This record gives sequence, structure tokens and C-alpha cells, in this order.
Amino acid sequence: MSGPGPATGRHALDDEAVHAAALAHLPGMTPRRLARLLDGFRPVMAWRAVVAGTHPGDPHRRFRGAASGADPAAVGDRCRAADAGVLLPDGAGYPVALAGDPGAPAVLFARGHPGVLEARPAVAVVGTRSATPYGCRVAAGLGRELAESGVVVLSGLARGIDGAAHAGALGAGVGSAPPVAVVGTGLDRPYPAAHRLLWEAVAAAGCVFSEAPLGTPPRPGVFPARNRIIAALADVVVVVECHRSGGSLTTVDAAARRSIPVCAVPGSVLSPASAGTNALLADGCTPVRDTADVLTAVSLARAARGRPAPDGRPVRVGPGGTEPPHRPGRDLDRVARSVLDAVDDVPTTVETVLLRTGLSLASVAAATEELVGRGCLDAGAGWWSRR
Amino acid sequence: MIATIPSAVLVGATATAVTVEVHVSNGLPGFTVVGLPDAAVRESRDRVRAALLSSGLPWPRRRVTVNLAPSGTRKGGAGLDLPIALGLLVAGGALDADAVRGLGFVGELGLDGAVRGVPGTLVLVEALPGLRVVVARASGAEAALAGPGRCATAAALSEVVARLRGRRRWSDPAASELPVPAGPAEAPVDLADVRAHPLGRRALEVAATGLHHLLLVGPSGSGKTFLARRLAGLLPDADATTARAVVRAHSAAGQHHPVTAGAVRPPVRAPGHGVSPAGMAGGGGSGGAPGELALAHGGVLLLEGLEGYAAGVLDLLPGPLDEGVVRVHRPGAATHPARFLLVGTVQPCPCGEGGPPGACRCQPAARSRHARRLAGPLLDRFDLCVRVERAPAGALLGSEPGEPTAAVAARVAAARRRAVARGVAANGALAAPRLAAEVPLDDASGALVDRSLRAGGLTARGVDAVRRVARTLADLDGVDGPVDGGHVREALLLRGDRALLWGEGGR
Repeated sequence: MSGPGPATGRHALDDEAVHAAALAHLPGMTPRRLARLLDGFRPVMAWRAVVAGTHPGDPHRRFRGAASGADPAAVGDRCRAADAGVLLPDGAGYPVALAGDPGAPAVLFARGHPGVLEARPAVAVVGTRSATPYGCRVAAGLGRELAESGVVVLSGLARGIDGAAHAGALGAGVGSAPPVAVVGTGLDRPYPAAHRLLWEAVAAAGCVFSEAPLGTPPRPGVFPARNRIIAALADVVVVVECHRSGGSLTTVDAAARRSIPVCAVPGSVLSPASAGTNALLADGCTPVRDTADVLTAVSLARAARGRPAPDGRPVRVGPGGTEPPHRPGRDLDRVARSVLDAVDDVPTTVETVLLRTGLSLASVAAATEELVGRGCLDAGAGWWSRR
Repeated sequence: MIATIPSAVLVGATATAVTVEVHVSNGLPGFTVVGLPDAAVRESRDRVRAALLSSGLPWPRRRVTVNLAPSGTRKGGAGLDLPIALGLLVAGGALDADAVRGLGFVGELGLDGAVRGVPGTLVLVEALPGLRVVVARASGAEAALAGPGRCATAAALSEVVARLRGRRRWSDPAASELPVPAGPAEAPVDLADVRAHPLGRRALEVAATGLHHLLLVGPSGSGKTFLARRLAGLLPDADATTARAVVRAHSAAGQHHPVTAGAVRPPVRAPGHGVSPAGMAGGGGSGGAPGELALAHGGVLLLEGLEGYAAGVLDLLPGPLDEGVVRVHRPGAATHPARFLLVGTVQPCPCGEGGPPGACRCQPAARSRHARRLAGPLLDRFDLCVRVERAPAGALLGSEPGEPTAAVAARVAAARRRAVARGVAANGALAAPRLAAEVPLDDASGALVDRSLRAGGLTARGVDAVRRVARTLADLDGVDGPVDGGHVREALLLRGDRALLWGEGGR
């Protein structure tokens, strides 16, 4: 991992940042309203104008009452307690990629080292929350190898693909690029709860951004808004797995509006979790077979924007690329072979295997145990898939 | 003249012996019933009068007092018609008091003198120990379950009187007298209709053999209900003790469970989503009457769409599942046997496609809300949890019919005999302390179970369940010796993983 940039948090909150945070934390505040309040106003001035009821961005004095009773210093203390930095578009640490963006957040909260995004290419690795083992393996493999190639892995810390990509990036060796996350909830509200440790690890190694004020719970709307920031920060968006109308498609739309290339990982046509990505491929997205495909797309994208390409570290080929794809041995007996043939690359349930093989449950139980033991099959709760 | 005739009435779920005392004396003609009669009993005067007259028997034109002892208990129902009529005949001198000695009477009278059955006949007969109880012929099969020498049947008041006057011995109802149940003929459901579902079939067979509680998980339209409805057909007839308990429970609830020539089919109770906790456990308005749990005793409790039941209803299940009885606390306190085979069906998630990762399209919040509706303690009590898939079209059209119920039921019965030799009705009733002796695990099987325990997919209760199911699988294979690794492996697979219900992301 490269040396962490200047850390946000305890010492980084000046008066402007505190007042910006205080505005963001007013009840009823939305990113759009906040942008209106800070348009042409410095935060301290904006705050005073809101309290005085003279702010042209608050003609109905919607926020006057709340602001009069609020103490900006308390919000500042709250941010410091949560170790959350407050980034303003013209201030230090605010991502350069967002500076000219039409949907740029007026205030961005950050935990960790927001500087890690500077001078490094970033690739968003996103996808469905209900991912298959295949999708998780690909995402983890891409995450690790991209990080090892010096590319910041950008994702949303959600279940499934997002978490796998971040976990993969964190697993990369010393000197790799740190991961960056953009989340939809407040920085003090890890969501999903199961990812609390992952969240901490990303904040420690790289940075976690959020435009939501502290304490914002997961609710509809915050995640699509978060996706636009992910797209805006990325040089390339890679969709690993996505359902036909999955939430990842909002990231794809946001990227397309910003002319950011979108790549997709092909999947089984039998897998509903790959329906969205396969549709993207049919629409002309670049297919991602391995990390090299992503790096090529990143080079092209950065060349088009006049930025330096990722440094030329050696790249191993093949997502997950530790071992070549397993060829099941020829020494399997007839029963095990027919069970193996009956299991798809996508999760296949017990009953489907019974139907396809016509074998008894006891034979299938014995055969699958052998196949799982040999590493030919992955086992789950009532299903198997080919490894 | 005074006459005393033994009879019985239902008070809540239990029967109370009642002595019908009839006093006929001189005075203004009149008819008084005392001893806390309800409206149905007070009206019996008119029914009894008409029945006597149309049977050609005398109605005393004197002062009649009927007392129902014990006088402090409220009495209801029309079953006292017959004893009141006989009391009148004895007290009026039309019948000899000796003729009714050793007999009890329960039955409603029609205006034409016909003797009609009343709810709870079996319980009422059992409430009169040491007496032979004359009941309506229609209730003969039910009453006969009380044992030999306990009942006799009659179709009309005139027949009763003729028999009493003739001093002929009363005998148990002959098989030819027993009525053929004339309920609405239900379309027979047969496993032959099940074309695909190899796993579902196997699970049904194992559940029926060992009385292992079964949870069928699957998307809508996959045939969960179709399968579950066919489970009861695999169960053998109830044994004598259970048969009595089944009929007694239905009797006490005022319902009719068909009895044919001593054979009682296991009941199937399938309360809908609207059932209340009181409807499930019993009690409520009518004094500790049995609820669905008690009515399912000896049979199947089928809960379709588990997630649709009120939490208070599902929370009632673990107790009876463990103890085999349901306690009714209000009004009064009653304990009913409630040892049933629980069969549940459930969708894995709101969209129904969940389970294997990648298929479900539900929001995680919706999925965890769905999973939260099913409490862990309840899910843990399902010994078998299998996922049923939608049958492929090819299997539905033009394929051969599956194995019929009769063939599977024969295997079930054969395997049950091995369990009976072990001293239990089915392996599901094997007590935990006996498992070590009855289902020893060799090293390989022990390692299998141990691995599942460590992986977190199995609880301590689950280990016991797996052993019981493995024993059932060995019984089905005709193995008398210890279970082998294959049985344990299959039992683990049938036990399934509760993660089926909330997919990969965890609860």
C-alpha cells in the first residue's frame, strides 16, 4: 500500500467545514437543497443567511427554525468524534474528478485518506447484492489484481459484489493501491451491519466517502444517489454481476451520462444474476475476461482524458487467477460423473440434481460429498455449483 | 314414583356424569326441569312428549319434576332427551326399574321417536364407567371405541323400550350396524399425480415413516401444497389408543371424525392464516374445548404458507412439539394430547425465487423481514427441510404417473414395524437419551455430524433429529443393524440448511 495521504478527521475541520457540516445536518436537508444553499455562498455566510432568513436559496425559510436552534460547533464535534472529515469543492482533499461534475455533492464527508484518489486511476467494481459464488470470486479476483496493478478499486461496500471487490483489494500485497468506497448511509452507520469490519478496514487503508450526514440510515434513494458519485469518481465502471433491472444499472446510467466507459463480466445465460451484465454486453459494453481487459479499458479511458495510464506492473491473467480452471479428473466413477454433469455453473438445487440424474438421494449425497471433497463442486444451503 | 337414569353431558372439553331424576306425583299436571338446565334441555320437554306419543307410549298427565344432579353444574345439549324419556316411563310405571339397571342413556329424540346422535358421544360414554350406555345407532362406531361391553345402539325410542320390556340382553353394536360415513366424498389425492419432485417424494416418505416434522420450501407454483396434501395418505391407521384420543378430541370439540369398523384415519388439520392463538391452542369461549393443535393429535397439522400466520400462533407450536400436549389455561385448565406431524410450506423469500444465491430479486430488508417472521426455535424443530423446485414442463406432460400412494404406504408401514419393535410408534418419538443406544454413529458418520456442527449449520437439537432421521432411513432400507454413513449423509441433506430461507446474505 502506498503511504497514506493527509488524514482527515480530528485536526482538519476549520470554521467553514464546521458550518458546511452543520448545514448538511439540518433536518430535511437534501443534496440538492444543500447545493442551492452553498451556491455562491461560503458556508459561514450561508449559515448566517439561513439563520437570518435572508438566504435566497431558502426563500420559504424552511431551515431557519432548525438552524436558529442548532449549534454548528456541536456538529463539528460530532464529526470529529466519528472521525469524519468534511470536504468542500474548493477545499483540500475534495476529489478532483468531482470538481467539474454536474452532480457533485456540495459537501462530502470522508473517513480515511481522501488523497489516495489523486494521481491514481480508479475502477468501480460494482454489481448485485445477491451474487453467486462465481460473481464473488470474479469480483474478489478483479479487486486484488487491480489493486496490485496500482488501480484504486472503487465500490459501494454493499453485500455481494461490492464487498467481495473491496475484500479482494484489501487482500492485495504491500505497495498496492488502497481501496475507496462511496457509501449511501452516514459514515457512522455501517450498512450492512455484517460489513462493519470491512468498512473499518477500507477506511484505515484508503477512504470511505459519503454525502449523507452522520446518522443517515439506509433508505431508498440514498443508494442510487451514491452510485452517481461512484460513477463520477471512476475512470472505468466494471459490472460483475447484475440482474435484469438491478440497482447497478443506475451506476451504469450515471457513467454513460459522463462518458465513462462501462465494462461487464459475462456470465452464464442460465443465471438470473448475470442477466443484466449479459444484456450490457449485447448492448456493446466491453467484455471483461480478466484484469488485463480492465487495465486496457483504463488506459484507453485515461488516454482519452489526457491522464497518465496505470503504471506498468506485471499483471496476472484470469480473475481469481491463482490456479487454472479445474478439470475434474477422469478417475471419477460413473455415479459421481453423472452427478457432476447434472450440476451447472450456477447454483443447482438438490431436487434438480435428482431429477436430472434419476439417482437416489443417498447416492447423490455420497457423490456430492466426494465431489465437494475433491474440489469439483461448491456446496451451499441445499445447492451445489461447479467450481 | 321416582326414577334415576344415568347420563352425561359435555362441559367444555370433558364430560360430566349426570343423574337424571324424574319424580311423578299427583298434583296439577306440569313439567319442571331443575338443576341448571340450558335452553336445549328445557326444550327437551316438548321433544320427549312428542317422541313418547308418536312411539305409542304414555305421557303422564301428572306433576313431573326432573332434576339433573349434580344440580350445581350447568348442563347443555339435547343428549338428555333419551334419559328423561326413560325416566318418565319408569317413574310413570310403564317400565320396570330393574329393566334399566346397569344402563346409561345418551341421545337426542326426534318428534317421531328417533334416537339421534349427539356430539361427544365417546367422551360421554367414557364418563359413565361400569355402565353400558345406549346411544344412537349413528354414533355406534364412535362409542364402540370405548371398548367391549360399554355401549349399545338403538335407532328409535320404541326399539329401546321394546328391548327393555323384553329383557333381552344388550350387546355391543355389530359391525353390520355401524354406519358407513356419509361425509362429502373428497376427491382422493394420490402420490401418482406427483410427476416430478424426487426430493419432495423422498421427504414425504421419510416424514410419514418417522413422523419427522417437514418443511417444504419453494417458489410459488412449485407444488409444495400439492405434495403436503398427499402426506396424510401415507400414514397408517391410528392405533387403538390414538384412535380413541382422536375421536375424543373431535367429540369434545363437537366435531365429527369418521370411524369405520374400528379404523380411524389420522386427522388432517389445516387451519388457515386467520386462525387465532385461541383457535390453535383451544379454550376461549366454550370452556377449554380443544383447538387445532389437539385436533391434529395423531395426525397431520398442515400449515401452508408459514409466513402468513400471526406470530402468536406460530409461537404456540414449539411447546406441543416438544411435550406432545397442549395446555389450555382459560377457562379452567385442561391438558389435551397434541402429538402431531407438523408439515409446513413456505416461500424462501417474498419473491419466492430465493435460496440459491443469485436468483432472488428481493431487497435485503424485505428478505430479512420475511425471515424474521419465522422464529429460529420453530424452524429448528423441523427435522426435514427440503427445497421443492418447479417441475420441468417435460415431467408434467406425457410422463408416466409416479409411484402411487399405496406402494409408498406399504413401505412406510413395513418400516414402522421396525420402530414399533423398538418400543415407539415412530422414530420421531425416540427419546434423546435412547439415541446413543438405538442410533450409534460410527467414526465416519460421527465425523460427518461433527463437521456440520462446526460449520454452524446444525444445532444440538438438529443432531438428535439427524440421528432419528438416519434411523428412519435405515428402517426404510430394511437395515436392522446400526445406521451407516450413507444414512447419516442423507439425513443431513434432508435436514437441509435454514439458510434456504434467507439466502446467502445472512439474516
